[in-house]
Amino acid sequence: MQEVFPEVVFTVMGIPVRDTVVSSWVMVALIVGIVLLFRQLKPTALEMVVDFLADFIREIMRRPADPFLPLIGSLALYVGVANVIGLVPFLKSPTSDINTPIALALVVFVAVHVYGVRIMGFGPYIKSLASPIFLLPLELISQVSRTISLSIRLFGNVFSAEIIIAILFALAPLIVPLPLQGFSIFTGLLQAYIFAALAAVYIAAGLPARQEESGVEADSDNLETIEQLIEKE
Amino acid sequence: MAEMDPGTLVTIVTIIIAGLGMVIGAIAPALAEGRAVVKALESIARQPDSAGDLRTTLLIAMALLESTAIYVLLVVLILLFANPLLDRFF
Repeated sequence: MQEVFPEVVFTVMGIPVRDTVVSSWVMVALIVGIVLLFRQLKPTALEMVVDFLADFIREIMRRPADPFLPLIGSLALYVGVANVIGLVPFLKSPTSDINTPIALALVVFVAVHVYGVRIMGFGPYIKSLASPIFLLPLELISQVSRTISLSIRLFGNVFSAEIIIAILFALAPLIVPLPLQGFSIFTGLLQAYIFAALAAVYIAAGLPARQEESGVEADSDNLETIEQLIEKE
Repeated sequence: MAEMDPGTLVTIVTIIIAGLGMVIGAIAPALAEGRAVVKALESIARQPDSAGDLRTTLLIAMALLESTAIYVLLVVLILLFANPLLDRFF
């Protein structure tokens, strides 16, 4: 049971380094190695991954994916691999330590304002935060609480899965925890999807609504319904 | 019973409250998620074209609903493994 909690492996200049940090270094090395290998052997596989992420961002944010792909794509890849790598023996999910999700959520918190200022400009962005001035406190509270909920959601899901597997392993070893470990792969990837989707939603909520695109969409919807009507007749 | 050491009492109450809290905290989000799924399935059955759009919205809404259960789980975990009240007695 104690193996579930992160332990301090060694200290560098008074800074304790936990085993989750070590496994996140292994994970980063693994991702970089796979990317370098596949760039030589099969570049189309990497293109498929990037295309999938770009489509995902475009679908959620309803605007061109290019400015957001580096941040949200790497968040999705990092969280996805970090949730799954806990199944490797001697490694522990970096996201089962509360510090990693908090750091990721703080990155999203800063990114919302950086993208808002970069796209709208400093003055208009501050003005849009306090458009009726009495809504400013609510806006600030929602900014902080969504950061906390983003980090606790990821941590709670991964950590609870690990605790359930540890309890089952203490009760009935080897065979019984296996289906739950398979299920934890599924929930880990789903949590990565949700983390990236929520980051995209939060960033999109800080930006002005796009008039042209929604207009085009409404037109296409109208066209479809008109076509259906014609077909019925 | 009257001779009970306060640390033991706090431990017993903590265990009971942890189980009870997790049960109640799991019921409400499960009911809410069920309602969300029912509505989404009804709309997909009515308009199959909107299935892709509904799926992403449904997943995000389910994540937001589920986070209430996760908050309860976090409080229960703190009570069980890092109880701040026990330090007063030991």
